[in-house]
Amino acid sequence: MTLMGEKLATIGPEMVLSVGALLCLFLGLARSARVRHATPLIAGVSLVLCIVGPMAWSAARPAAPGEIALVLGLAATPMAAFLKITIASIGLLLLLVSYRTPDQLPQNIEIERSGAAFDPGQTTRGEFFAFFLMSLAGAMLCAGADGLVWLFLALELTSLPTYIMLVTTRQSTLAREATVKYFFLGALAVAMFLYGFTLIYGATGVTQLYTTPVTEGLATVQSVVAEWRQEGQPLPLMLLVGMGLAILGISFKIAAVPMHLYTADVYQGATTPMTAFLAFVPKTAGFASLVLLLGTLGWPLPEPIAAMLWIMAVLTMTVGNVLGLMQTSVKRALAYSSIAHSGYMLVGLLAGSAAMEAGQPVVASGIAGILFYLVAYGVANLASFGVLGCLKRQGEEAETYQDISGLHHRHPWLAAIMLISLLSLIGLPPLVGFLGKIYLFAPAFFTGEPAMIWLVVIALINSAISAVYYLRIAAAIYFGQPSEEVERDEQTARMTGSGIAATAAVVLGLGAGALGLTDMLAKAADQPGKVLIQPADTDGDEAASEDRSNIPSATAGRN
Amino acid sequence: MSTPLSGMLLSHFLMTGAILFGLGLIGFVTRRNLIIMFLCTELMFQGVVISLVSLSLHHGNFEGQTFVIFVLTIAAAEAALALGLVVLLYRGRKTLDGTAWALLRG
Repeated sequence: MTLMGEKLATIGPEMVLSVGALLCLFLGLARSARVRHATPLIAGVSLVLCIVGPMAWSAARPAAPGEIALVLGLAATPMAAFLKITIASIGLLLLLVSYRTPDQLPQNIEIERSGAAFDPGQTTRGEFFAFFLMSLAGAMLCAGADGLVWLFLALELTSLPTYIMLVTTRQSTLAREATVKYFFLGALAVAMFLYGFTLIYGATGVTQLYTTPVTEGLATVQSVVAEWRQEGQPLPLMLLVGMGLAILGISFKIAAVPMHLYTADVYQGATTPMTAFLAFVPKTAGFASLVLLLGTLGWPLPEPIAAMLWIMAVLTMTVGNVLGLMQTSVKRALAYSSIAHSGYMLVGLLAGSAAMEAGQPVVASGIAGILFYLVAYGVANLASFGVLGCLKRQGEEAETYQDISGLHHRHPWLAAIMLISLLSLIGLPPLVGFLGKIYLFAPAFFTGEPAMIWLVVIALINSAISAVYYLRIAAAIYFGQPSEEVERDEQTARMTGSGIAATAAVVLGLGAGALGLTDMLAKAADQPGKVLIQPADTDGDEAASEDRSNIPSATAGRN
Repeated sequence: MSTPLSGMLLSHFLMTGAILFGLGLIGFVTRRNLIIMFLCTELMFQGVVISLVSLSLHHGNFEGQTFVIFVLTIAAAEAALALGLVVLLYRGRKTLDGTAWALLRG
């Protein structure tokens, strides 16, 4: 295969999603209402196909010697393959939760009721699902990025569609205000990480982050930095400032301090299913990019970057949890909890693979922790916002503590789903959130540095603080007075989506090891950007063992 | 690629880029009109572009200049989005003052 073909083979899922997005765009404008209503189905089918298709294709056609050994036929690196499966699966649940969203817009209800002739200018159904798929494709591209240009484009592909989805899914001044805040702070963040990327390029002279077969033998940011470190040279200030700006800019996507200011307003202003989308997709893209960027420096991170991340992690957790305590709106409380969870994940980013290189088991890697926690947070977050999206008070979306009070008496299933997701967010065993927190905090603890151990202590105190407001929501649901005005929206799909997510929180919590998830994570966590090449004259099994034997030598080189 | 930029000349270009970026940042924080705020982010993008082109000349490769093409494309896409959004907002409120939107609080 040609190099171009090989490169394209690594982005199979994204290509399937883009085709699905284009189909949705066109068919959303079809004359027949039945075709227009098929767009969510197309989106669902392309989300399934984007994983199954490339896997089947590569099973039928194994990589020849010297080619990229695709991981599961999805991506060039184990981390990207893991994230692509995660994004597609949670994307499918998000689709279940949000597939009625365009139908609930006043203008669409009006058209359906009056039976007026279809006016393409009045509908946004096709666009919604098209942008939904494009944003997911962007997040997948972030996970597989090997260069700064690619990373920049992928981050933008994740974000730009969300602005349009945000403003078109709710006919309300609140949604417009949320979009203004989100878009303008977003544009500022883009400029910041772009300047950071520029300085990284300025310091190293290359935009390629990791070696791929296309750039075999050429310098990459990773190789240049490794060379500096080997020679014992201090890293240039330009590189450190660039990395700092890039981290600051990307902290907008993950909703971390100091770029968290929009979070509560935007999550409250967005329609609830959209909030679930915003809390998962950009966060995943942001963390994937941060892992790839910092992976070029290698763990333990250089002192200034580590100090900056340490301060960011502490502030993000504390601000999220303390402000979450003071909210009267459940939606805002969950928004602040989203900020706090980013803070926990920054702990994993800070620990990185340092403990692993010090001889600890592979699962003691902060990167594996982040990847697992993205799944853990993804399902719990989706279940909680999904339940909130099922409730209406006089046609308006439910969001205050009064709105959910006494939910248990009226809708016990919704209450149970909410309870599971809240307990998982607190991190109680046997739910997935508990396992996630162990995977995140253990690597930091294993590094044995006092600063890291303090960070774990602060994180645990924060988890305790967060339990207060999560339990307050649970108490309102189980012991509050039910309100007659709040009713359940007839949303079977939305309830199913949250139900599946809550089940996943239990199943993954009990059986992450049995499902082979930990093995996959361990593979994903070493050397985030490393592209595997099929060696000449060997079969797949030996290729895997050779890959494993490469790792000690690579780490030895870095030390 | 003729002669790579020397250190002295490079620093002039980089300073220009940094000053544009800084002006944009200050403008973004201090101005309240949405269009001006958006122009400020564009100014920051142009600062980035100047830095990229001069660094590309300095390193003697085309990677920075390729990057610029993509930056300009994204900047155009973002401008289209921003103008559409600004028109939508103006229809609703008849004002473009950023402080006029303050319903979401808490």
